[in-house]
Amino acid sequence: MIRKIAIILITISALVSCTKDFDKINVNPNSSPQVPLNYLLSQSLLYIGGSAGDPGYATWRANLIYALPTTQMFSSLSTFYAGDKYLYQADLSEAYFVTQYPNSVKGLVDIINQAKADPKNVNIQSIARILKVLQMSLITDLYGDVPYSEAGLGYLNLNYSPKYDAQKDIYADMLKELTEAGTALSAPATNPGIADFVYGGDVAKWKKFANSLMLRLAMRMQKVDAAGAQSWAKKALDGGVMTSNAETFSIKYANDGGTSTINSNSYNLGEADVPGHRNEVSKGSIQWSKRLIDLMKARNDPRISTIAILKSGDATAAAQKGLPSGLDAGTLTALTGETGPDNYSRPNPIMYYAKNPYILLPYAEVEFLKAEAIERGWYTGSAATEYAAGQAAAITQLSVNQGAPSLTGSVAAYQAANLYPATTLADKLLQIHTEMWVLNASTLNGFEGWANWRRTGLPVLTPTNYPGNATGGTIMRRLIYPVSEAGLNVNYKLAVAAQGADLFTTRMWWDK
Amino acid sequence: MLLMRNKLLFACLFAVLISTFSFAQDINVNGRVTDEKGAGIAGATVLVKATKKATVTNDNGDFTISARNGAVITVSYVGYLSRDYTVNGATLNASLVSQSKDLNEVVVTALGIKKEKKALGYAISEIKGDELTQARSVNIANSLVGKVAGLNVTSTATGPGGASRITIRGNASFKGNQPLIVIDGIPFDNTNQGNTVGTWGGSDQGDGMSSLNPDEIESVSVLKGGTAAALYGSRGSNGVILVTTKGGSKSSKMPLIEVGSNFVIEDILNKKLNDYQYEYGTGDKGTGLVGIKPTSADPNLNQTNSWGAKLDGSSVIQYDGVSRPYSAAKNNFKKFYDIGTTFTNSFAVSGGSDKIAYRFSMSDLNSKGIVPNNTLVRDNVAININASLSKRFTVLVNGKYIREKNKNRPRVSDSPGSANYTLWTLPTSLDVETLKASKYNADGSEKVWSNNQYVQNPYFATEDYKEEDTRDRFIGVVEPRFNITDWLYVKGRAGFDKYNRHETDITPTGTGYQLGGGYNTSLRDFRESNLDLMLGFDKKLTNSFSVNAVVGGNRMKQITLLDGYSGGPFNIPFFYDISNVSTPNRGTQSNYYEKRINSAYGTADISYKNLIFLNLTGRNDWFSTLAKGHNSLFYPSAGLSFILSDAFQMPSYVNYAKLRGSWAKTGGDTDPYQLLLTYSLTGATQTVPLAQVGTNQVPNSLLQPYENTSSEIGLEARMFNNRLNLDFAVYKRKTVNDIVGASISPTSGYNQALFNVGEINNKGVELLLGYKVGNSKNFGWEPSFNFGYNKSNVVKIYQDLKQLFIEEPRPRVSAIYQVVNAPFAQILGNGFKRDAKTGEVVFNAQGLPLTEGLKSFGSGISPWTMGFTNTFKYKQFGLSFLVDAKFGGYIYSGTNALALRYGLSKATLPGRETGVVGKGVTETGTPNTVVVAAQTYYSNMYNFAEPFVYSSDFVKFRQLIIDYTVPAGVLGKSFVKAATISIVGRNLWTILKYTPIIDPESGYSNTNAQGQEFAGLPVTRTIGVNLNLKF
Repeated sequence: MIRKIAIILITISALVSCTKDFDKINVNPNSSPQVPLNYLLSQSLLYIGGSAGDPGYATWRANLIYALPTTQMFSSLSTFYAGDKYLYQADLSEAYFVTQYPNSVKGLVDIINQAKADPKNVNIQSIARILKVLQMSLITDLYGDVPYSEAGLGYLNLNYSPKYDAQKDIYADMLKELTEAGTALSAPATNPGIADFVYGGDVAKWKKFANSLMLRLAMRMQKVDAAGAQSWAKKALDGGVMTSNAETFSIKYANDGGTSTINSNSYNLGEADVPGHRNEVSKGSIQWSKRLIDLMKARNDPRISTIAILKSGDATAAAQKGLPSGLDAGTLTALTGETGPDNYSRPNPIMYYAKNPYILLPYAEVEFLKAEAIERGWYTGSAATEYAAGQAAAITQLSVNQGAPSLTGSVAAYQAANLYPATTLADKLLQIHTEMWVLNASTLNGFEGWANWRRTGLPVLTPTNYPGNATGGTIMRRLIYPVSEAGLNVNYKLAVAAQGADLFTTRMWWDK
Repeated sequence: MLLMRNKLLFACLFAVLISTFSFAQDINVNGRVTDEKGAGIAGATVLVKATKKATVTNDNGDFTISARNGAVITVSYVGYLSRDYTVNGATLNASLVSQSKDLNEVVVTALGIKKEKKALGYAISEIKGDELTQARSVNIANSLVGKVAGLNVTSTATGPGGASRITIRGNASFKGNQPLIVIDGIPFDNTNQGNTVGTWGGSDQGDGMSSLNPDEIESVSVLKGGTAAALYGSRGSNGVILVTTKGGSKSSKMPLIEVGSNFVIEDILNKKLNDYQYEYGTGDKGTGLVGIKPTSADPNLNQTNSWGAKLDGSSVIQYDGVSRPYSAAKNNFKKFYDIGTTFTNSFAVSGGSDKIAYRFSMSDLNSKGIVPNNTLVRDNVAININASLSKRFTVLVNGKYIREKNKNRPRVSDSPGSANYTLWTLPTSLDVETLKASKYNADGSEKVWSNNQYVQNPYFATEDYKEEDTRDRFIGVVEPRFNITDWLYVKGRAGFDKYNRHETDITPTGTGYQLGGGYNTSLRDFRESNLDLMLGFDKKLTNSFSVNAVVGGNRMKQITLLDGYSGGPFNIPFFYDISNVSTPNRGTQSNYYEKRINSAYGTADISYKNLIFLNLTGRNDWFSTLAKGHNSLFYPSAGLSFILSDAFQMPSYVNYAKLRGSWAKTGGDTDPYQLLLTYSLTGATQTVPLAQVGTNQVPNSLLQPYENTSSEIGLEARMFNNRLNLDFAVYKRKTVNDIVGASISPTSGYNQALFNVGEINNKGVELLLGYKVGNSKNFGWEPSFNFGYNKSNVVKIYQDLKQLFIEEPRPRVSAIYQVVNAPFAQILGNGFKRDAKTGEVVFNAQGLPLTEGLKSFGSGISPWTMGFTNTFKYKQFGLSFLVDAKFGGYIYSGTNALALRYGLSKATLPGRETGVVGKGVTETGTPNTVVVAAQTYYSNMYNFAEPFVYSSDFVKFRQLIIDYTVPAGVLGKSFVKAATISIVGRNLWTILKYTPIIDPESGYSNTNAQGQEFAGLPVTRTIGVNLNLKF
């Protein structure tokens, strides 16, 4: 009897005591504890371009729905395209914020952290730092004060509610980062090579990009901190900026692995060769604005036939007609008698091929900013020369798009028709920033287009006043934070208290 | 196949029934049932065991029943010991002994151990199988609504194959709150299959309970307190629902054949949207305040909005280019939704001998949903054998096979592919039949009917979209028991739960928002095994003391495999196979999850003089999912039962009284692979592999088991000749160190973090009151009322975190949160800014309300739940009905938000022609006078949650059952032993509700995100007929 009981008890304890292999059981066989940093860098680049994850989610909302229409580059009759009507829709306004932090920012923070352990990773670390500045500048220029110094550290520092840094501090640190990372880049050290979809591992180009981005950030501070802007602009230009379109910062796509390998603007706008596309152009949701088409026509801009086309397929410059901003179908009919968008210019398919590079900082912009810096007396040189170089670069830049005609032959005529004025600073700035405005529209770079317009106010745009708009009929100055942030981040309230009410109309630090 | 066989069999048996009326010789037996003092007992049941014929004594205790000579008759009455008599001639007098001294009702408790109810120190409620078979809900969980105090069952508005949400005594965890389901001793996976419905829509893929066949169920025990469930360790921390299936009986020599047939029709409760306006039609307002009609087929004009002109019957062009009268389309719901039908046939044979008892059953359920093309077929087969292989050795073998096939599960919540979303938002002047007629473009693609290509033509969504899932499930248990001596035994149990689920989803070529179409197929392979070995001791030590103890061990292993392919667009249009998607556009997944829990447990029941019962349990779990040093947890529990009516002299009207108390600690672990950060590979482009951090949830290597402590005190009593039955309980539950994947700010780089958080308290009371008003031969009436109140309070979350995000519905202006110092599942959303002094809404210069950010609107879970059942009996007729109610909860109705945004609801009528002046003040405090176009004003409300949060209180006439038992006299000479026919109605009448447009029980989620609703399936009523025959 006792023996029987003992045997049973021993069997029971054998059943439960074997926990030795628990460590092995709890290892996830489907994901790796470590991967080469190059893989992470490539993925981060796709996230910055907005294509990885839900392709085009953030780009669609932040760039195509808000930035481009509010800056009167695009127009739409649909109230969903809230930008030219200054309508607030929470999920549209918050999209860029809620998408980029958990994707590109997290990835870049992780690369920077991992790379610092080994000096031979200096280039990938520096590239990640520069990219993080680019990504964070896009975020802060849309929203103002945002989490920066504590962002993306959920795992590394267990920080679940990052504080919101003042934009002033963010800019200071971004400029510092660009300086340090740009200096640290080392040609002899290993580089990410083909994993770098921007420059293919060309360290010299990355250095120039770091300085060019520094120039952009410096000039952004012009209204609020002229002295700082001056010294940083000089530093950037002294350090060496982009010198040709071959150095333009653009993310290259191959359309060879599903939707994340497609330009995200193309994904939203296009059809043709884009699988699962959103088809927004052919549905008639997006037109070029009257302001842009009228202006380009008046300036005999040769780019017009490359960027615009009518539904009928007519891309001739003379036939193009822009859609007035801030209308819906009803108000359009009342104003013009037109019953829909079909007779207005829409983006030409050249603008949205899947493999088009995603441009975030073109060489031409550097030339225009340099011209402004010279004009303000912050740098030496000929503003007119830089201006002309910018015009040429902006026009020829478009040839990177699939199927785009070469416009090299049209450059001289355009420059002749739009000479740099010899008059007042205001006139010169108007010319420079009108060129910038067209440049940003024609490269679908709404982020920079909107930011640069907010700093300069050029060209002058007439606000719309659509019923129910959230700005009282003034052009939006920022996007509104995610609704959920109020519940998730204890620092949200402090940010609103510091920056001002969480509205479209509140101006951020550099926009005061 | 099974269906056909079943139908054939049924048809044959039915034919036999009609043609036979001659057989053995019964005699009429007359007699009287008396108590110890010789007084007649009214309402006692007299049952002929072999034939199951029964009758009830009259007011004097007299009865007449027909039986054969030598038949065994059981006489029973509540509060008295049942007694068997053998018929010997035409007279039979029976006398019963009151059992108030020895109330030995036996219930099934943890680990399948049967115990006398009076010995339990905790609350347990049992529901008999026939209550479930009669109530006939496709998911039996829904049949539990309103039946048990403290049990909160929430059905979802997601169709017949959808899941339900069950909680016992409130919500104690930030994570899962559903109880463990145990079937014949084997834990049964009740998790949601596939994706649950969330912010972005989807379809509910059902859970485990939805697979069970009610005909197989003998009883359902609800183990409420921690003590009741403590023996299940971590998995019992939310209580346990024990399902015991039917077995054979060793005493019935002749096989008993049961045949049941059931037909239920289902129809939407509100066919007309009475809260919708039918004065203005499709279109937008023009330049001024007044709406205009569409002037072309341009989708920008023919849109989802009903802000157009006054409906005047004039000819107006529609999206398909055809002009039709501009008039109200009031019957879209009626026209679109079908009448659902469910046809169930079941067959069972059971019997036994001295050595063996067996039962074999099969059933076939064939259901058509109210959404066109939505079908469900479910076949259940079960076999149950209990064999005595020798004097000391018995084996129980129990196997179940379930096959389910669902087609086109309805999509709900957000729009893509959801016919329900379209129906809720269809403009008031667009007839759904127009959409039926104009579904395709010339190339076979969807003719998009509005400016929002994400809102599908509902016929395209239900006819061209294809969804199909099949699940094969096998549950088996082998339970050998060897009696070493008459007081010592060893018992083993090997149980398996295994299923394969295969799902294919096709987004067809030409879908508005995804012209290329898409394909998605996934395979889920789940298996769980449980091995138990127990040593049991059961002995009376002295006359006063007896001990019943068990020690045992358990090893649980759970493996889930998830494989899938997805991709799009299709290379060849309209050909739907993964091979038709080019390789770069294919996604693949293959995931493997494994977890183990090892446990040692013991339980001891000690009783003293049948007066005081002490129950002690202890269990230790070791988890593979937690880090070493943190992965072991011990759960003790104690329960005490004290029979007051035996210990003290009680007033004569008290027949029985028991006081009970218990205390327990439980806890648990989490999912596998949550401890370390890993990277996942996401593909390649430009010959470069891509990789990223593999999770959106911050992992945590220091996770500890969470702990849940509960206690209860209860009183059970029977009074007034056992007519009044009372069970009252007060309980407390507290959870600490809960393991939660909590939403965190995305700026942290992650959307969730996993940590041991917080503290949740639940306190509550439960009451069950039953009374036998009459119980004579021809008439019986038993009203029964159950009531539960649970107060939950989130005490702490994490460090200084004050609120925890759970989930948001699609408008994304409200969400469900856990908030410190507030009840579980708070609805937080955008509220109006209000004037500090007057409380009036503050308007901006444009005449639109200003927001004040997130405001709390109350809990999405009703703290008050109650049910009132009445059972009547008149001769051969029975009637019972259930009224149930929930109070104190709130719901954010996204459907109402849509109805206002699109100009659908009646609330959008004021100011259509003249504009709206919002009632309130400006920022300076002066009255708001700005006139805003109605469309602008009302559609702007979509940005607020405040106007759309309603009380979710309801009172419903839930269920009505009328049954008729064919009198024994009629069946007398046939071989049919019993025949019952019943009519069942469910959800017949909503007596009280406060939610316009929607039903308060319209939530789409069975997660903790309770209190939100968005374009669900309309709530339905069902009416059915049951026929049950025994041979």
